Amino acid sequence: MPLLELRDLTVRYRGREREVEAVRGVNLTLDAGETLGLAGESGCGKSTLAMSVLRLLPATADISGEILLDGEDVTTMKWGRLRAVRWTSAAIVFQGAMHALNPVRRVRDQIAEPIELHDKTQLSAAAVRKRVNELLSQVELPAGKGDAYPHELSGGQKQRVMIAMALACEPRLVIADEPTTALDVIVQAQVLALMSDLVAKKNIGLVMISHDLAVLASTCRRLAVMYRGSLVEEGPSASVIADPQHEHTRTLAAAFPTVGDKVFRYAPATTSPLGLPTDVPAPGEVLLRTEDLHVTFQSRGVTHAVAGVDLTVRTGEIVALVGQSGSGKTTLARTILGLQAATSGRVVYDGTPVPRSSRALKAYRRKVQLVLQDPTSALNPRHSVYEAIAEGLRIHRVPGDERAHVAAALEAAELRPPEEYMPLLPHQLSGGQRQRVVIAGALALEPRLLVADEPVASLDASVRGEILALMLRLRANLGLAALVITHDLGLAWNIADRVAVMYRGELVEVGPVDEILSEPKHEYTQSLLAALPTTRPKDSDVPSG
Amino acid sequence: MSDILIPTEEALAEVPPPTRGGGTVRYVLTKIGGGLISFALVIVLGFLLFRALPGNVIATMTRGRPATPEMIAQLEDEYGLNDSLWQQFLTYVGNLLHGDLGNSYIFRVPVLQKIEERLWPTVLLVGVATLISVALGLWLGTRSGWRRGSRFDRVSTGVALTLWSTPTFWLGMLLLAGTTGLFPTAGLVYSDTPPDFFSQAVDMAHHLVLPTITLVAVTYAQYQLVMRSSLIEEMGADYLTTARAKGLRDDQVRRKHAVPNALLPTVTLVFLHLGFVIAGAITTETVFSWPGLGLLTYDALRVHDLPLLQGTFVVLAGAVIFMNVIADLLYRVLDPRVRAS
Amino acid sequence: MTTPSPRALAWRRRGAAFAAGWREFAKQRTGLVGLGVLVVIVLLALLAPVLTDQENLDVTKATGGRMESPSWEFLLGTDRAGRSVLLLTLWSARISLTVGLVATLISVAIGTVIGILAAHFGRWVSAGLMRVTDFFLVLPSLVLAIALSSVLERGVGTIILAIGLTSWPAAARLVRAQTLTIEARPYIERSKALGGGHFHVISKHVLPAVAPLVFVNTTLAVGSAIVSESTLSFLGLGDPDPMRPSWGSMLRSAWLDSAMIAGAWWYLLPPGIAIGIVVLAFTMCGRALESVLNPRLREG
Repeated sequence: MPLLELRDLTVRYRGREREVEAVRGVNLTLDAGETLGLAGESGCGKSTLAMSVLRLLPATADISGEILLDGEDVTTMKWGRLRAVRWTSAAIVFQGAMHALNPVRRVRDQIAEPIELHDKTQLSAAAVRKRVNELLSQVELPAGKGDAYPHELSGGQKQRVMIAMALACEPRLVIADEPTTALDVIVQAQVLALMSDLVAKKNIGLVMISHDLAVLASTCRRLAVMYRGSLVEEGPSASVIADPQHEHTRTLAAAFPTVGDKVFRYAPATTSPLGLPTDVPAPGEVLLRTEDLHVTFQSRGVTHAVAGVDLTVRTGEIVALVGQSGSGKTTLARTILGLQAATSGRVVYDGTPVPRSSRALKAYRRKVQLVLQDPTSALNPRHSVYEAIAEGLRIHRVPGDERAHVAAALEAAELRPPEEYMPLLPHQLSGGQRQRVVIAGALALEPRLLVADEPVASLDASVRGEILALMLRLRANLGLAALVITHDLGLAWNIADRVAVMYRGELVEVGPVDEILSEPKHEYTQSLLAALPTTRPKDSDVPSG
Repeated sequence: MSDILIPTEEALAEVPPPTRGGGTVRYVLTKIGGGLISFALVIVLGFLLFRALPGNVIATMTRGRPATPEMIAQLEDEYGLNDSLWQQFLTYVGNLLHGDLGNSYIFRVPVLQKIEERLWPTVLLVGVATLISVALGLWLGTRSGWRRGSRFDRVSTGVALTLWSTPTFWLGMLLLAGTTGLFPTAGLVYSDTPPDFFSQAVDMAHHLVLPTITLVAVTYAQYQLVMRSSLIEEMGADYLTTARAKGLRDDQVRRKHAVPNALLPTVTLVFLHLGFVIAGAITTETVFSWPGLGLLTYDALRVHDLPLLQGTFVVLAGAVIFMNVIADLLYRVLDPRVRAS
Repeated sequence: MTTPSPRALAWRRRGAAFAAGWREFAKQRTGLVGLGVLVVIVLLALLAPVLTDQENLDVTKATGGRMESPSWEFLLGTDRAGRSVLLLTLWSARISLTVGLVATLISVAIGTVIGILAAHFGRWVSAGLMRVTDFFLVLPSLVLAIALSSVLERGVGTIILAIGLTSWPAAARLVRAQTLTIEARPYIERSKALGGGHFHVISKHVLPAVAPLVFVNTTLAVGSAIVSESTLSFLGLGDPDPMRPSWGSMLRSAWLDSAMIAGAWWYLLPPGIAIGIVVLAFTMCGRALESVLNPRLREG
């Protein structure tokens, strides 16, 4: 008998105005000890699916179909039975461990809670404590960490706590909802290895949910893809990746380039008729240069966010600044833009040091522009597209017809016809369109350098490629140089000429992408590359820890 | 002076911001230091209001009362009004540090003595009323917040809003009018009650009923509404889903996770609203002639007894500042996130 | 395709936003009821000189007996001087509403300016302003108002000043918290990256986003101010002129004449009920507005 079986599962949300079908007629089976990856973009229904297994959906959700957990139908269970089944038969490892843990209770107490709740044998406090320590050691955390509060732990540590908590009642099924989304690449690799290991040892059935196909392929034997509530493809990971049948699967697979594979070089996944520029222009003169830049913060003790960085960007060049969270890359970007004052060292643009006074900075701002990570929050929700783009023009009192400038910027960002987009408000646009509006706003000032901070991190996989392709086209048509800040090595491989790897405030390795990412010399770069989940699973079938 | 009803997110944002860095000792010292500075400012403000501002202090005090030139000269001398303003300020601060708040013009005794006399009835009234208001408000708030939109919620919130909209003293007067004969209308105890402890206590309790009801009626609403908002805010948190997933019952989730977390900002808000409670106490004592600091303030007001007003101002403001320091310290004890260094 | 000018676009957008807000507001019955009540009361207050004769407030011209119970001639009875309680209640509305509105406008204006400045210019400016704000916030405002009113000339102006000067800290705190939230949003950083200076950021982004909150706050605060005015008048700090009554001073008279003991309920109830209704109406409007604006506050 399969461990989990979904038969024609449909979930509808009763909204105020209309009904939304989040999951449509999904059929799925999972045996004990099997690993299944569930892939899809945001809004495809995968999280709803996960939550429905334990009936954790809000009251506005209607479930129809059957969810058989070890043969028992969850949808018709009485409350008492359901509560007993929760956590003991199946447990969930939630995403964003940041908010899934009670912030004012010790981690140890939260792990102990389900143990005490489902305990039928009147375990003593000492026995419970022993069990908690056991679980902590299984997830490679020292027992002392159990006394900590959630905010005292790092992202990776919190995720381990979530895993320990899920295993507390020895469930047969574990559902992991985006378990590594907020984590750095190296930490991600560690957590994934840990999960594979535990799952194999205890013969637990694992359903892992993610938008990242590479993460799923490296951990799960089978792969299922969801699109708009329906299951569109299913099969062994290796074959689904190697030979995707459904269009959406193909889009997802294409969005995550394999670093090292020449096919993906300067070739972000795009379906636009505009195509990709064919040749890579040779870089010109040095446009921007930082000289021994230091930025130090005095908060809790001294933090050297940027500790002596020398970085150059030439005209028409795309440089990727790669680093994990805490590396200082965002601080460096803001210092280059003049939004943050440097403690020492300087930034030189076109031969002249970047000024500190606000008036002179304003002139500088026309030449170097910013594109932010989350386009939704980067636009004032009350301003129309026109006003958002015209803002820069008005600040600098750019002469000429404002409308013409705005229209030109919209054209350059490939939002056509411009007039159609002008009166719209941000919430009426899709994520990709919003990012184009942000880019258009930057282009309106005709800058020569674009600093993009995680430009596609918040976008869906299918849209990612389009924006990256846009950046390549802008470079080809306008000669626009770009400094792209990202944690994603794949992005660097996709569009960058040169890459600079940043670790703890310093640049550990700088050079052409082809060289650095194929044959990294520095230890840190090597570990970054090794930690990348690949869409091509290793030779052995069993995922090794 | 009534407080403004603040919307949820803002209410929670107004809670003392968590301190980053520094150990407990440093935090405690900072807060106490801040309190002392505030109190110092209160003292200065007291001086400015009651000496510097009124123009002619003596004229104000003797307004409507016949005063011969000799009396005026004597008063000027007594209150040191012939010295420069700066000299007066120094004398004032000097006296304050010795516990000398000057002499009441009307009662002809030291202000401090009058305040000491009247202190504990106010403490009794405010203390009892606060305890009841907090208990009532928190319970109602929890219940109405957890079952948002239910009949209980709508009715209790409606009642709370209505009571909050009415002036304290008017409620007091209504109670007096409505319960004629049932309860005493003024004072602490009847003069003819036997002097033994038990009879006195019972009699005082009898006198305490109406003023307490009045004060509670206006105060509890704020606690209820804030607790409700706080709980509704907590209920959207992810960790509650985790708790449910573990198999906890609905009421267990509420009791063990939602309510304790929602209580944190509410508890400190209780202290922060002390100023509002004191305002209510002043009017309540006036209506019921309850011999506390509030009535003392009113009496001083009636006869323009500036030294006495100054004294009560400093004492009442000082008490509120003290309570706020306690609130800050308490919050640090309760919320581990704030304790983090 | 004829496309409108940018200015027309901007106004059209504002108009649409306002209309949408109104529709949301109208969906809440309590808000509409509150608004309706307010409109009626304001109209009555404004039209008082037209509908009735101010002369009748003159104590020397009063025609009724002392504290008479309601009759056909005096629908709500008379006060101690023989004046119609109904007339007094009507005319008191003018003073009470005026004080409430003006005092609130003053306090909200001060509070908004200080709040925005404290949030926008961090560090020393912020620390300094917040110290001052916190100090005034902690100070029991009634006590401070009593202090102010006792040393200044008694009357409406002093009361307005006292309430205005003691209520601004709450508004300042709110505005500061909201401004901090807004300034943390990426679109502010984008604006600065585009070259926007302090004035640009504050006027184009911060103020429009803060305005709804300020508006809600004002509505709620007016109710609060009216209650404060009544308290101060009750304690004897109001306008002593019997030609300019307020609800608070009416209640003071009632109390001084022991109306509750005498059973003169017609003297005691109307002013209190009037205050209750007006304040409740403002509060209901304010809360309805709050729920209209809240989803957008979170988004924006």
